[in-house]
Amino acid sequence: MSLMARIIEGKRYHWWSRMAAMTGKELLQLGRDTVLVCAVLYLFTLDVMMAGGVKMDLNQGAIVVHDADHSMASRELIYRFQPPYFKMLGEILNEKEGVRLLDHGEALVVLDIPPKFQHDLLQGKPTAVQVQVDASNTILGTLAASYSAQIIGQYGFDAALQRMGLTGESLEAVPMVDDRHRVWYNPNQKDAWFMSISELLTVITVLAMLLPAAAAVREKERGTIEQLLVSPLTPIQILLPKVISMTLVILIGTALCVGLVLYGFFEIPIKGSLPLFFLVTALYTFAMSGLGLFISTISRNLAQAAMLVMMIMMPIILLSGAWTPPEAMPDGIRQAMYFSPLYYYIEMAYDILLKGAGLAVLWDSLLSLSLLGSVVFIFGVWRFKRQFG
Amino acid sequence: MGEATLVISAQPDSIVNVQNFHKRYRKQTAVEGVSFAIKKGEIYGLIGPDGAGKSSLMKAISGILTYDSGSVEVFGTLISSEASAESVKGRIGFMPQGLGQNLYGELSVEENIDFFAQLREVSPEQLISRKCKLLAMTRLEKFTDRPMKLLSGGMKQKLGLVCTLIHEPELIILDEPTTGVDPVSRRDFWAILTELLREQNISALVSTAYMDEATRFQQLSLMYEGKVIAAGEPEKIIAKVPGTLVELVAHPQAAALSQLKPIFQQVEAVGAVLRVFAEGQEEETAIKQVKSLLSNQEVSAIHASQPEMEDAFIALLSQANLTDSDTAPAINTHKESEIDASKKDGLAIEAENLCRNFGAFRAVDQVSFQVKQGEIFGLLGANGAGKSTVFKMLTGIMRPTGGEGKVAGQDMLRATQAIKERIGYMSQAFSLYQDMTVLENIRLYARIYAVPRKQLKQRVDWVIETAGLQGVEKRLAGALPMGIRQRLALGCALVHKPKVLFLDEPTSSVDPVGRRRFWDILIQMARVEQVAILVTTHHMSEAEHCDHLALMYAGRIIADATPAQMKVALVEAAGELLEVSTDQPLLALKLIEQAGFDEAALFGKKIHLLAKESQQVRQQIEPLLTASHISLHSISPRPPSLEDVFIHQIMTHENEVE
Repeated sequence: MSLMARIIEGKRYHWWSRMAAMTGKELLQLGRDTVLVCAVLYLFTLDVMMAGGVKMDLNQGAIVVHDADHSMASRELIYRFQPPYFKMLGEILNEKEGVRLLDHGEALVVLDIPPKFQHDLLQGKPTAVQVQVDASNTILGTLAASYSAQIIGQYGFDAALQRMGLTGESLEAVPMVDDRHRVWYNPNQKDAWFMSISELLTVITVLAMLLPAAAAVREKERGTIEQLLVSPLTPIQILLPKVISMTLVILIGTALCVGLVLYGFFEIPIKGSLPLFFLVTALYTFAMSGLGLFISTISRNLAQAAMLVMMIMMPIILLSGAWTPPEAMPDGIRQAMYFSPLYYYIEMAYDILLKGAGLAVLWDSLLSLSLLGSVVFIFGVWRFKRQFG
Repeated sequence: MGEATLVISAQPDSIVNVQNFHKRYRKQTAVEGVSFAIKKGEIYGLIGPDGAGKSSLMKAISGILTYDSGSVEVFGTLISSEASAESVKGRIGFMPQGLGQNLYGELSVEENIDFFAQLREVSPEQLISRKCKLLAMTRLEKFTDRPMKLLSGGMKQKLGLVCTLIHEPELIILDEPTTGVDPVSRRDFWAILTELLREQNISALVSTAYMDEATRFQQLSLMYEGKVIAAGEPEKIIAKVPGTLVELVAHPQAAALSQLKPIFQQVEAVGAVLRVFAEGQEEETAIKQVKSLLSNQEVSAIHASQPEMEDAFIALLSQANLTDSDTAPAINTHKESEIDASKKDGLAIEAENLCRNFGAFRAVDQVSFQVKQGEIFGLLGANGAGKSTVFKMLTGIMRPTGGEGKVAGQDMLRATQAIKERIGYMSQAFSLYQDMTVLENIRLYARIYAVPRKQLKQRVDWVIETAGLQGVEKRLAGALPMGIRQRLALGCALVHKPKVLFLDEPTSSVDPVGRRRFWDILIQMARVEQVAILVTTHHMSEAEHCDHLALMYAGRIIADATPAQMKVALVEAAGELLEVSTDQPLLALKLIEQAGFDEAALFGKKIHLLAKESQQVRQQIEPLLTASHISLHSISPRPPSLEDVFIHQIMTHENEVE
């Protein structure tokens, strides 16, 4: 019996020893690939920094005015379109010129002030100004339209109060709703916080698929898989070390990014538990590596694998809420989002990093991700085993 | 340059003239000071291992590669600019290296030909007549609709040739057209080439890595690492290294090897036979010396013969001090006598009625054979004959459809994992990690095969010593020359001291020096360590090394014997191999073929044919030749090679099928 136990013990030792040897080999090979190491480093640092630098504000939107009134009132309205949001390019002489500038993309907004603008205001008559916006870029267009509406609205409100003779102290007697926001989790509403985390999660998604897929396809491409298949390694012993080593690389990269870029550069106060965040990241990476392995079974070379990663990436990101919140999605697509592992990961990552949420809040998302991840991973391994087993 | 012009004017009939050619890739010199000339209507050969500079030369002559210094003249035009290269390209056909490399896999045979014809602006009428003729000549008519990627290696090369010839070039340049092609297709390819030369009077520049193809050329340059080692007619190159080849059978073989090695530079075990090249010695003195060295051993079947191109090549290399001086693996002999008899008789591989179907296609049909411990067993066959399927079933990667077998004492149907632990495997393509060092590769495989931790260092050292890898331990595997890489692959396959070794075309791309060193290790493993070695190959030079051969054709074993027995059987079945020497070999070959000798083939200027009654042949051929004013120099018998055996066997079976 003791001999039997020793043999089993020995077999178990061999199993782990082989796994360790293969994992070490994967890390060694990755370390030798200078281009890949540089790309990973870049993605986890500079790329996230650049993404955080993208602002969702309107910045120096070009505006021209057709001022048919040339009065004090019109000058005051025009004066309110200020940098950094707007950049006043000057006055145009007719409406046609305005349309031409919009057509050529030289102006984003054309403000049209009618004659008798001041006269009407002073008379207490309602008056209108026309704002034309180039909305070919929806985001810019929407921002420009809403900013102009705010400015013009405020001007109208001020003009009305002034006309009623309500200024200074007497203003306090007017019944008005004072709208006081309290912005939680990102008090200064810095886009950099949202954008940099979002980019980090995207980078993790790409690499979690691409790195194991590349490692597996490379073995196919160079024929080294043949030598492994005739060795006593089981398919799991060939696959798992790739997933383990690549997960390790991604976790190190994530740590680097959280420490240097998110905390160090953008000064995001990490509210939640970092170990929980890394645990969730490891789980997510495992799930996505299943897709990577699946990709490696259907592609013949690295180029094909990279193409497929891009192809699978797009719907996963679109359905994740990384770019558009789930609330903005039409019905059918909203249901489909429950099948995107990234959806759960994004939710948990923001909740942990910004809100400081713990397992008590996140358990259902974690469970969903685990289930979805297991299915995807088992599918990937099954495909691989069927091809090479 | 004055000297060069003088040489050119001295050879007015040469259509290619290369003088003092140099080509460098960044810091690496590819070709260094090569000069040669090709006459009209000649097959000129460039022979040398990988990296000898053959491809660079051929590309420069084709006008698709610039060179650093020297001169290249084609059809009297100096190729010095793109414009001058363009002016002769229409008269040249170039086929690059690699099976079907210049063809389109998705296109059919006919579409490929049409495409190349359009590219070369061949008129539709000409295309039809040429296509008909070339397809008939290459026997590809039946396959015009088949996509190129589904053709066999030999057929791909024939199609490549058709596409190269469609614009009727005056000079064709073929870069290793027979690499990776089985012997039957190889001989077929040469026959087509011969016929083309005869009928269309074109000239050819052909490169090859096989020394045994040297006799196919009228003129050749023997190349090594960018330099020409020797040039001229094949016989004259061999004659540059006078000496005697002594062949003998000695027992025990490994002990005899280690006794001869210090005295003679070239000693090699080829199967049961020892080949000793006594450089500069007459027959009698050579035999005498060998005999006296082996006085304490059983020596039999000793005889002297002429050295071959490979012996000359190696001797010329060492004369020029070009052989790398890395240590040859030491041969360890003391253990041979200690092997107990029971171990020797043990069976390492038993295959019984193995079958494997792929859908309705039966790839392997009732294959049975046995390999003893300590035996080198060769599985021969063309591409697609079923060799690798048998290999996959025996190594446990593929389940047989029927039949059973035992490998290293384990049942191959039930104990695939146990088999995998007990065998070593080396594939044809280098399948180790090129971005890892020699040492890292060996250590990885040692751990995969669960070499105990305490023995790890000792075992790794043993592999390095056995495979002769001292000095390169820290180098990346990808940066090593082919020969050393193959030894590393072998070392990794041996790291767990397997009892059975599977080798898939182990030395197909290794130079002769490297190949001999490689086989030295295998001989030691088989003779001393009693490892059973199963080799698949379609290279006859590898087959000669085996103790026992099984020849596969269409999924079945059609011959199973020792190489010597196979040669004897050939003589019994088809007669002696005769070499016919005439003054007009091309014309003579045609007449001999018409007289009913279908298997006659041209080797350089000589014709080989098989005949039962050698006396009758002379009576039959001589009047035919004299009628056409061809003078017959001689008809002499030659010992058949394994290639002759292989081709005869396959042809016989092909005829039976038809």
